[in-house]
Amino acid sequence: MSDPSPEILPTGDDASAALTAFEAPADGYQVRLDVFEGPLDLLLFLIRKKKIDIHDIPIAAITRDYLGYLERKTEINLDREAEFVFIAALLIYIKSQMLLPRETDLAESEDPRRVLVDRLVEYEKVKAACSILREREDVQILQWKRDFIPPLSGEGPLEPVELSLFDLAESFFRMMKRREADDTRVIRGREVPIEVKMKEMVTLLQERHVLDFLEYFDSIGSLEEALVSFFCLLELIKSRVAVAVQDELFQTIRVWLRKDPHRTVAHEQ
Amino acid sequence: MSNDLKALVEALIFVSQEPVTLADLQTVLEGVPAEEIQAAVDALVRDGEADGRGVHVIRAGGGWLFATKPAHDREVRKLLQIERKNRLSSAGLETLAAIAYRQPVTQSEISAIRGVDSTGALKTLLEKKLIKIVGRKKAPGNPLIYRTSDEFLLYLGLDSLDGLPSEAEIAKILEQERAAET
Repeated sequence: MSDPSPEILPTGDDASAALTAFEAPADGYQVRLDVFEGPLDLLLFLIRKKKIDIHDIPIAAITRDYLGYLERKTEINLDREAEFVFIAALLIYIKSQMLLPRETDLAESEDPRRVLVDRLVEYEKVKAACSILREREDVQILQWKRDFIPPLSGEGPLEPVELSLFDLAESFFRMMKRREADDTRVIRGREVPIEVKMKEMVTLLQERHVLDFLEYFDSIGSLEEALVSFFCLLELIKSRVAVAVQDELFQTIRVWLRKDPHRTVAHEQ
Repeated sequence: MSNDLKALVEALIFVSQEPVTLADLQTVLEGVPAEEIQAAVDALVRDGEADGRGVHVIRAGGGWLFATKPAHDREVRKLLQIERKNRLSSAGLETLAAIAYRQPVTQSEISAIRGVDSTGALKTLLEKKLIKIVGRKKAPGNPLIYRTSDEFLLYLGLDSLDGLPSEAEIAKILEQERAAET
């Protein structure tokens, strides 16, 4: 921690905040588990507080501290609880293993603490890497690059995001659900080749400039044709002919052609 | 290195929305030796760092791109009418770091490193496009496999994954932290 500013290193700050809470008088313990990222974070904190060598943890003492900490928590969140209890169980198991009488001293690789130490060492490294990455992030988020999409006319305060396949698929399943709800008739769709549909969509885009894809999708009579139009959209985006923008996940998708004549021409040929 | 070449390279980096690589420049500037192009870029980078310049050429994601300087963040946002960019949460950054170092990696592997369930953080990172799904692991349950994206490199201003903090840098941080406690 070359720069101990709490703004840059929130985890360090969290830990010191926790320290204050931890050392508060016993009657007014207001310790909250959520200052820690998880049980490993709590363990690291306890180990550091005691200035213990991570490779030679006095398991009995640490287990006592850890369990004492868990008992003090006030609120219950089952998921988080399970994670903390899991490590508690691991600690107790290791403690029991340490108590077993042995005829010969254990080799280092047989140390029952090994499984926990490996995890702690790994987690400690990730945390240290995070403090370096956080410093990078703090500089980078203040620099503006040319990778944003120019705002559309009438654009609201929301920042548009260029869609990934992941988002498109999510929206697609949503649209399909919607169709499922009102589609009670069996519609015999005419066969629509992708090429034809794609040309149709490109022409439409050229005419209208911006296309509300959800509206377009809903306006199509048959399910087959609607499906084809979705594949066309994917294809147009993949071949970088069109750009799709969605203000928020699950909202409508607005589509327009990229202003790049070469690509469009190349595609239409 | 001629000033013409520097001006030309500047124009090429300016119009590009993605980082321009040396290979990109070589393709466009047929016949110009790589060393000359590199020298031109180096000169551009130096120019940008000088006082009195609002944009500079930075190296990220395997290429060069223009970026505004950090000092001008507030005014740039005011012009574009956008909010301050939020930093990632601690959980988000931890998850991202775990993926960056261990990729390709599954949700349960990430959660094991962190000791906590990471599905929420993964969803946020996917939405921010900092990570991507690259397939499914041939293991029970066929879990999804995650990797960091190109946006991840740009987001942290890294040239490549090799730019992640090294073992030595991490060891130094840990040493400093221990020293600070005693």
